[in-house]
Amino acid sequence: MGRSYKLYPDSGLDGNQLFFSLLGKVFFTTCSDVNMLKKLKSAERLFLLIKKEFPLTVSSVNKGKIFHEIQRLINDDPGSWLNAISVWKKLLELDAKNEKLSQKDANPLKRKVGENKIIIAKKLKIEQLQKIEENRECQLEKQIEEETLEQRDFITKREKFQEEEFQNDREKATVTHNQNNLTFRVSCRCSGTVGKAFTAQEVGKVIGIALMKQFGWKADLRNPNLEIFVHLNDIYSVVGIPVFRVPLASRAYIKTAGLRSTIAWAMASLAEIKAGAFVLDPMCGLGTILLEAAKEWPDVYYVGADVSDSQLLGACDNLQAAGLKDKIELLKVSVIELPLPSESVDIIISDIPFGKKFKLGKDIKSILQEMERVLRVGGTIVLLLSEDHHRRLRDCEESSIPLNSKNSYTDEPGIKKFLNLEETTGISETELSSFEASNQECLDRMSPFGSLVPVECHKVSLGKTDAFIYKYRKSHSSAL
Amino acid sequence: MKLLTHNLLSSHVRGVGPRGFPLRLQATEVRINPVEFNPEFVARMIPKVEWAALLEAADTLHLVEVPKEPIQGYEHDEKFLRKMHHVLLEVDVLEGTLQCPESGRLFPISRGIPNMLLSDEETES
Repeated sequence: MGRSYKLYPDSGLDGNQLFFSLLGKVFFTTCSDVNMLKKLKSAERLFLLIKKEFPLTVSSVNKGKIFHEIQRLINDDPGSWLNAISVWKKLLELDAKNEKLSQKDANPLKRKVGENKIIIAKKLKIEQLQKIEENRECQLEKQIEEETLEQRDFITKREKFQEEEFQNDREKATVTHNQNNLTFRVSCRCSGTVGKAFTAQEVGKVIGIALMKQFGWKADLRNPNLEIFVHLNDIYSVVGIPVFRVPLASRAYIKTAGLRSTIAWAMASLAEIKAGAFVLDPMCGLGTILLEAAKEWPDVYYVGADVSDSQLLGACDNLQAAGLKDKIELLKVSVIELPLPSESVDIIISDIPFGKKFKLGKDIKSILQEMERVLRVGGTIVLLLSEDHHRRLRDCEESSIPLNSKNSYTDEPGIKKFLNLEETTGISETELSSFEASNQECLDRMSPFGSLVPVECHKVSLGKTDAFIYKYRKSHSSAL
Repeated sequence: MKLLTHNLLSSHVRGVGPRGFPLRLQATEVRINPVEFNPEFVARMIPKVEWAALLEAADTLHLVEVPKEPIQGYEHDEKFLRKMHHVLLEVDVLEGTLQCPESGRLFPISRGIPNMLLSDEETES
């Protein structure tokens, strides 16, 4: 396919294969156990894939026909449902077991989970942040589906029963038996043409009834055993089960999140943090970025700064709750007047505040200038900027690089170019989004700022709005 | 505020420039926090340390057993590294002041956080 992917080394996933990463979702197979999966940091949620199919063809008139098609998701291959659910149950059991075993060697458990599971991690539209080595063969044995939304991504998990454990007939029998007692709830999301034709509730109902008929499960809207996520759009139909009750993005160690933890981690992972570095967040707010960074890269000197007392108090609280007070120092200083010597900081990571309270324009320039000053040569800056900031930065540049004429697409929510995926089934002739192309376009919109050279740019979604992660490197001493 | 941090802070009062370093430390409340010893980390901090500033601050806080300078082969000298670890990372100034040596401006330290915000008149242009 000619696309390069790499898995972030600290994501903790081993034995993982393929993957496909598109505008917000990553589909992959893995042999990792729950503990490893829990360590995924830039994914919002993790699901087990049950189904990934061609999108529904929505003709304008015959609702009944379409409902029938929807039911086929369940009725065509009920075995795949049961398989997925037993894998899910295994995962839950192992998860519960792991919690009981405090310091026991995880290997025996790991070996048990020898199956290959296909999982989709929903990234919060962080393009290219979870990529996998191109060398790995694309084992597109299962279909791959793409979804382009934030909240819910489906992961489907296919299980390859290995000879070791799960082949136990007895186990299988027990599992099947137990499956009759499951309670479930269907959460549905419809977009594109499907979304225009039906409401989520309608579809959810159709699916719910089909499930009850097929498996004898009971619906429970309040506290079901099993949650079924269905996402239908113009590109595919996906069904999956959340692997964990709590989204991955909700961190046990963060008391009050400011910026989304997934984005915070992603920014930190772009910053090339190495042991012994001095990392500064000069607009740290509640300290989310520093918390994520300190958890992942602990042997580093972190300093957070903010002008607001309440934010600093909140940050302090967060540090305390996370047990990271020793790793992160706080200062009450202004980002445009940093009381630090020039070229004394290795890495700067910051979420530049958006919104009406924050004065734009001249400020963004002063901010970047001060950051540039304190950064050592070769150091990196990773910033989260709004569309506005980005525009102003671009406008106040005395850059010699001619602006890319494609700049006008600023209102596009995401690049919708697609690559051809020949070998895959389950996908219509849509192509996949080209990350390289979109990154390049994004990069073309960045200009150098003094001695700061643009390195990477990623568009991300913050839910209601979009933003950009910018990475710069300081190429030489700033002339003053 | 740890001494490692104090070692980096410099006054930004207008016109002061490099003479704004080091800030004179006065402490009214200090706490010693045990921090997990990580020799590699400490070793990496050593080259960044401004020793005169560190010794001055350590002196003000009446700390003992503070190495006067990096010794040969400090990276592998556990005793040395442990002392540095203590001075740089385990001493926390909770309340006190930092004073700009050139302008005399006082910056308060409260709850371990130094407040170095300058008013508009004080900032450099």
